[in-house]
Amino acid sequence: MSVGIPSDEVAEDYKNSLEDLTANSRYEISNLTVIARENTEHAMAISRVLENHIKSVPPDRKLPALYVLDSVVKNVGTPYTLFLGRNLFNTFMGAYLLVNQQTRRKLDEMLKTWKEPVPGSQETRPVFPHDTTRQIETALLKARTSALQQQQQHQFKAQQEMTARGRPMPTLNTQWRNTPTPPQANGAYYPPPPQGYSQRSVSNGNFQSPSAYPPPSAPRHHPPQPDHQQSYQQPYPQPPGYPQHSLPPQNLDSLKRDIADLIGKTKAAFASSPYDDTLRIRLQALLDLQNILNTRQLPSHEIQAIRDQVAQLSGNSHPPSVPPPYVPPPLVPQQQPPPRQSPAQGPTPQPGDLQALLSSRNLADIIAKAQRSTSTPPATQTPYSQPQQVPTSYPPVSSGPGTDLMAMLRAQGLLRPNVNIPTNGPLGYVPPRSATNTPPVLPASLARPPLINDVEITSASLKLPRPHLISTLYEARPNQCSTCGRRFFATEDGREKKARHLDWHFRTNQRLADSAKRGQSRSWYVDELEWIKSRDNPEDTPLTDASSAAAQVAFAASLAAADPKKKHIPAPADPTLANQPCPICQEKFATVWNDEEQEFVWMDAIKLGNRVYHASCHAEIKKDGGSTPLRTSTPDSVLGKRKSPSTWFSEINANNAKAFKP
Amino acid sequence: MSLPGLELSAPVETTVEPTVQELKEGSEWRFEVAFGTQVEVKLLSGNAELFGTELVQKQPYTFTGTKAAIYTWHGCQLEVDGECQSEYIAEETPMISYANLHFALEKLREEASTIGRDGPRVLVVGPENAGKTSLVKLLTAYATRSGRQPIAINLDTKEGMLSIPGTLSAAAFSSIIDVEEGWGSSPTNGPSPVPVKLPLAYYMGLANPEDKTLVYKPIMTRLALSALNRLQDDGESRGTGCIIDTPGGISHGKGGYEIIQHVVSEFSVSVVVVLGSERLYSDMLRRFNGQKTSAGETIAVIKLDKSGGCVDRDEAYLQQIRQAQIREYFFGDAKSTLSPHTQQIDFSSTSIYRLADSSTDLTSLLPGDAVEESMAPSIFDKVEPSPQMQNAIIAIMHADPSDPQETIRDASVIGFIYIAEVDEKRKKLKILAPLSGKLPNKAMIWGLWPEGITDIVG
Repeated sequence: MSVGIPSDEVAEDYKNSLEDLTANSRYEISNLTVIARENTEHAMAISRVLENHIKSVPPDRKLPALYVLDSVVKNVGTPYTLFLGRNLFNTFMGAYLLVNQQTRRKLDEMLKTWKEPVPGSQETRPVFPHDTTRQIETALLKARTSALQQQQQHQFKAQQEMTARGRPMPTLNTQWRNTPTPPQANGAYYPPPPQGYSQRSVSNGNFQSPSAYPPPSAPRHHPPQPDHQQSYQQPYPQPPGYPQHSLPPQNLDSLKRDIADLIGKTKAAFASSPYDDTLRIRLQALLDLQNILNTRQLPSHEIQAIRDQVAQLSGNSHPPSVPPPYVPPPLVPQQQPPPRQSPAQGPTPQPGDLQALLSSRNLADIIAKAQRSTSTPPATQTPYSQPQQVPTSYPPVSSGPGTDLMAMLRAQGLLRPNVNIPTNGPLGYVPPRSATNTPPVLPASLARPPLINDVEITSASLKLPRPHLISTLYEARPNQCSTCGRRFFATEDGREKKARHLDWHFRTNQRLADSAKRGQSRSWYVDELEWIKSRDNPEDTPLTDASSAAAQVAFAASLAAADPKKKHIPAPADPTLANQPCPICQEKFATVWNDEEQEFVWMDAIKLGNRVYHASCHAEIKKDGGSTPLRTSTPDSVLGKRKSPSTWFSEINANNAKAFKP
Repeated sequence: MSLPGLELSAPVETTVEPTVQELKEGSEWRFEVAFGTQVEVKLLSGNAELFGTELVQKQPYTFTGTKAAIYTWHGCQLEVDGECQSEYIAEETPMISYANLHFALEKLREEASTIGRDGPRVLVVGPENAGKTSLVKLLTAYATRSGRQPIAINLDTKEGMLSIPGTLSAAAFSSIIDVEEGWGSSPTNGPSPVPVKLPLAYYMGLANPEDKTLVYKPIMTRLALSALNRLQDDGESRGTGCIIDTPGGISHGKGGYEIIQHVVSEFSVSVVVVLGSERLYSDMLRRFNGQKTSAGETIAVIKLDKSGGCVDRDEAYLQQIRQAQIREYFFGDAKSTLSPHTQQIDFSSTSIYRLADSSTDLTSLLPGDAVEESMAPSIFDKVEPSPQMQNAIIAIMHADPSDPQETIRDASVIGFIYIAEVDEKRKKLKILAPLSGKLPNKAMIWGLWPEGITDIVG
């Protein structure tokens, strides 16, 4: 299939698919296994991608990633066992260290299965060589012993301390210290995801259940039984005595599922080309097969045969019906970078798209579209002249990009009950339904009522209730953000501040969606001088990480003298920057793991200002004589270089004013 | 589609129907949520606030390992989903006087702004479990809601503010305070749904200031210097001033009063708030009432009642809080999961200073400050990594390994690492660092506090 495609392209695709794996989705994992099987000639690249992925994902995604590894080595075997076995100790232990107790238990189970041959196969050797697994087991045993010792030591020391200090501690404390494990060991270690979170992944139960994705071939010891529940009381039994010639119901189940998937796919294909006879026949055959499986019990060799057939079919049917994670990432238009991060790089909406724009089911979407359409101001004005959609009484200022649009919607449109603004965008952005829970907007002149603050710092004065002062905390700022509760004055200035604030929420939510793919970690604290000079105004400053940006610059500088090919910078965490190609050769940067720096880096790269160049390209240009011709040739489109919101605002207003002149 | 075995392994959920709490105006709902359980609270109508920070209607707030109260000025309806350890509605609260204190401070801030002076520096003192941190949080939140930018300062090493326990820290608050997670989060390399706050942290490495005043006083002086410099430099904060939280341990005894004296002079405190102790109030009156600050303001001493909602937090609970704070530093909270990074480093690449044991600090037993100078006991012992270090938390300082001990002590913190494993044969340390990348080649302090945490990774 993929002969001729370079390894790194396959690896890149694989990496992208892995990034979409957020939970124990059986479908996705088997999909990834199939891809690995079809690309054994790129096994080395895929193995490396998989290892890096396991290393870099947040702890809660390590388990699904390890299940992919497990599934690949068991179902495909060599050469993956070879490549993955090499670093298995580091891969496994690295993950083991960071995950919670529950996940660890599953990892232990997984490790156990690696010491045995794949059940049901002719292969008699274990999944991984004993040397590899033993190394891990020894390390785990050592860690457990030392943890136990530590605890005893701790306990002993605590008792000593108590006697030494002569400071009796509360009894509860002693009680705790005498228990073998701290009471919170399981519960509070890693707070279970809140509901919002589990909605994002798969259903909670699926995620937590040990059998949601069992290593596919592990428990092949059960005779088929009609009652699945009963036979599955122990997800991981290891009874050696069972005959191996029958399939467990789970495999039967998975087979049924595979067939159901295939039917779905074939139906879809059939729908698009209804005159294809082979498809029709295949669909018929599959439906019959499903029927048979559902109604009769088949001997195991027949099931195996069906299984092979189905595996072959699903293997064949993959390329035409490309599974979602396999879609190559949409290319960012390189000539004209988007003015800001937008959730999707769709085309700029033309006047014809306006209906779509208005009927869009969520505000965030509208805003995103409106933002992208800054280059075509007349287009965005049209919506406001369509009477049945939005009241015409809008002042002309209301056209233009998002922030302003939002300000208008919020300040006026949303107060009108007949304007129907849908809620809850896909990005988790909750468009404010403000004003419904606050008193009506006060006229600007009343926003700061003359307050008599007569509180003195005396006990008597502090005891008097002063409701009029309390109201300054509420009614004086009636314009409330419905996401976080921050309040703003009902003045022009307050509205502008709130628009900026909402813009901040919006950007943050966009970035949250992006950053979920890539691990996030705590930054180092700044030093005294930097802290004194810092300003706490997150909503006014762009969301770039100042300290890491500074570190990157310093890093690049320290490497300036080195050979350009060896120059590297930490791979930027900012998704916008990470997708930018080198401005000189227009090629993207390759992210590789650098062991020395303990970080993902871009090799052959330097950062100048807010753009990253291939070090070699840059050296080349410099040799030709141009001192810094690059800075001016392409405008800086990185978030960090964005105009400050206030100038942005005034410009927009100026544009609007122009546009509305007859 | 049913998965075999799924039903059996699914946790048995005790379904508790959401209850609705009706709060009359001026009352509060006090609740405790154990570690490991979650309670979701939604404001259905009216308005409500948690330690001064307003709740948004219809937005779910999730609490775990919390003892807190939701107060309403105008009455409200709360929907509570989940099981609280204990909960009740209280109608008697000291909120009126707390809020009035805020307005009194506002008046001082107005005055300060008009004549271009620093805003009030407010010190909150009181015995343990009197609600000091809650009051500081409330005053900070109210100041923020009034459009100001206070600098909150934590001098209590038993609990961290935007950092782990054992540190003193300061941060400017211009944006909303996290309702669910204490003071919120310090910056990460990604976005955060609640604006992060940038802390400046100093490392004490001990639970009680009096254990080693030789460390506590100098670093507190440094913190005061930085905070006052920030006030001078930052126009937003200048007129607002700062609000200082203190450990309960210093509210009695000669050593404690000396530390309070030190805080008052270093921060040039203009308002001393005594919470919940008559005796401390009269002692503070005697010491400070009518005294002038360095800027010539008269120091005001004021007494406030302790809230009836204050509960004694036992050592086991406090320990859970500490461990939760450490975990949060590395792993983040429920809102944003962080990925710490494990790596191996050579013994030779570390320069670790062990805080000399508190028992050798004789100065606290001897009268007078002069003795400290003449005896000059060592602050740290330089140590090689050893197996005892396993599970310890180590602070990396903004100081070079070759710097004198005083410089290392007085430096602010870069961050913390956790020692997961000490391999003496290969001379390697396995560590957990908050982020990937080479560790800064800086001096490290191995403190005695917070205690090692065994179940973070092992």
